[in-house]
Amino acid sequence: MAIVRPRLNDYYNVPLRQENLDFPIPFLDEDIPLYVDPFLLWKSPSLQDNALHTIIVSSFNHLGKLFAKGEETEAIKTLILLTECDEVGLGNSGVRKGKKIGEKTAGEILSLFKNIPRISQDGFHHFEEIQLLIDNVSKDRISDIACSIIKSWLIDFTIQSCDKFGIPIQKTDISLYDFKKQQIVSESVTLPLNPDNKSPLLLTPKRWLRYVPWINYDDYFDSYYIKDVEDAFEQKRTRIAILEYNRHNYDLISRYIETKEHAAKSCTTDPLFSQIPVLSAKRKLKTILGIPTGKTDNADKKYEDNMVPVLASMLYPHLDFAQAQSRVESGSQIRDLIFYNNRDIDPLKDIYDLYDARQIVIELKNVKEVEREHINQLNRYLTEQFGKFGILFTRNPAPSHIYKNTIDLWAGQRRCILILDDSDLAMMADVYETKQRLPIEVINKKYIEFIRSCPS
Amino acid sequence: MKLPRFASLTQLISEMKAQEKHEFDKVHDQMRSLYHELSVLSKKSTNTAINKFKLKFVNSILGQSNQFLKEKYKPFKDFSLFDADEMPSNSDVALILGQYLKCMEKFRIDNTKSDSLDWR
Repeated sequence: MAIVRPRLNDYYNVPLRQENLDFPIPFLDEDIPLYVDPFLLWKSPSLQDNALHTIIVSSFNHLGKLFAKGEETEAIKTLILLTECDEVGLGNSGVRKGKKIGEKTAGEILSLFKNIPRISQDGFHHFEEIQLLIDNVSKDRISDIACSIIKSWLIDFTIQSCDKFGIPIQKTDISLYDFKKQQIVSESVTLPLNPDNKSPLLLTPKRWLRYVPWINYDDYFDSYYIKDVEDAFEQKRTRIAILEYNRHNYDLISRYIETKEHAAKSCTTDPLFSQIPVLSAKRKLKTILGIPTGKTDNADKKYEDNMVPVLASMLYPHLDFAQAQSRVESGSQIRDLIFYNNRDIDPLKDIYDLYDARQIVIELKNVKEVEREHINQLNRYLTEQFGKFGILFTRNPAPSHIYKNTIDLWAGQRRCILILDDSDLAMMADVYETKQRLPIEVINKKYIEFIRSCPS
Repeated sequence: MKLPRFASLTQLISEMKAQEKHEFDKVHDQMRSLYHELSVLSKKSTNTAINKFKLKFVNSILGQSNQFLKEKYKPFKDFSLFDADEMPSNSDVALILGQYLKCMEKFRIDNTKSDSLDWR
C-alpha cells in the first residue's frame, strides 16, 4: 500500500505522534523545510549545545587557518565536503539530495581569513556571518555545514532516539568530520536507512530548528544595513555590492552581530506545525458556512482552501497533516486531505486495526447533496491507496438512501465511509474553541453512530 | 448502619428506610445542583459538548437515581446514562436532568404520608 508523503516511521509501521518527539520525523523522499540554526546552539542554556557550537566555529576557523597557512587545496576540499549533509534531510529539496558548493565559492569563503584582518586574527564567532560576506551562501548551506561538523553527535542522537522508539537501524558506512583529526573520515555505524535507496538518515533535535537563521542576509538588509549605510550613499546597491561593502567594512557586521546577540532572547525555535488560532478558526468557519454549494464563482475552490487549514489545525496533534492533493476522476477535480494516523487514541487504533488505515483520507465535496457517485469515487480511491476507511466532508447531511449505501458498503465489504457535514464542522470548531472535548472526538462520534447503524 | 444485636424486624426496616431516605435526599440535592449548573451553562452555550469530567459525575448521579426510580418512575424507558462518545451537549444534559428531577419529585410524593409529609 502506497503512503502519501511517507515518513521514516510510516515505512517501518512505528506509530509516532510528532508533537511528543524531540526531533522532526524525516520524510523519505523530500526535505523538511527547516534549518539548523547554529545561533540556537550558541544561545541554548545547555552546556552541551554551547560546546557543539564551539566545535562548529572552531572547526570552521581551523579550515580558514589552513587556507591562510597555504594549505589551500586541503582546506577547500574539506569545506566542499562539509557543505552538504543529505542525511539530515533539512532544507527545500524535493528529493533529499543537495549540491555541494563549487571550488570558487569555497575559495571565496576561505579567502575571508586572508582578506579581512579581524577574521584572520580572531576567526569567526558566528560563522553564519559568511552569508553577509559571500554570495551564494544561503541558510541551507549554513545548516548543512553545522550538521556536517557535528555529524558524529547527530549519529549518537539518532541511535539513541531510534532505540527509544523502536525504529530499526542497520549497519552502514558514513563519512563524518573527525574533530580530533580535523578531517573527513569514513566510519561504519548503525543508523536508520532510507528504504528506497538505502542511504542513512540522521535525526536532528527540534530545539535547533528555524525557518531562517537568526543571523541572515535579509534581516541584515531590512533591519540594519539600510538605516546605517544606504542613506549615506543616496542610491540603492546590488546584493553583490553590499557583500563587497561588508567585506571592506567588517566593523558594521561586527556591530550587527552584537545587536543580534543582545536580542538573543527573541530567537526561538520554529515549530514544525502551528495550529491556526481559535479566532481565525471561527472566522474560517463563518466563511465556510457562508460559501454557496456548487462551483459558481469558484465556490468549491474557496470551500477547499478554507477547509484545509481548519481541519489540519483541529485534528492536530492526533492526526498529523500529510498533504492536500488534487486528483481528477471521471473528469471532475477532487480534493483530498491526507493525514498520518498516529494511533495515539483508541478510535484511531481501532480504525487502523479494523480498516488498515495507516493514513486517513478526507475528501471534500462542496455539493448540496451527496450522491452515490461521490461515495463510489471515494471507495475506488480507498481501494487503490488507503485502507478501508475514508471520510467525506460535505455541506449537508447525507440523504437516507446515501447513508444506507455506506452501511451496505460496510456490510458487504467492511469498508467504512463516514459522511460529515457543516454541523459536524461547527461542532468541531466549537470544541476547538471551548476545549471541552477534542475535535477528533466528533469523528469518533460519527464513527460510533455509523457502527451502531450497521447490521450486527 | 449500626443496630443492636437483637434488633426487631420492624426496627431494621425502619432503619433501612431512614438510610434510603437519606441517600435519596442526597442524590436529589446533587441532581438539583447539577441541573442548576447545567442550566446556566446551557443558556450560555447551548450546543457545546459537555466535557468528560462533568459527564462522569452526571452519569454517577443518574445511575444512583435509576436505582431509586426503577422502570416505574424513570423518565424514559430507553435512557439510563449518557454515552461520552456521543458527545452530549449542555442542553441535552440539562433536559434530561430536568426530567429526572420531576420524576424524583413524583417518586417522593408517592412515597410520602399525606398527613405529616414524612416518608412512609
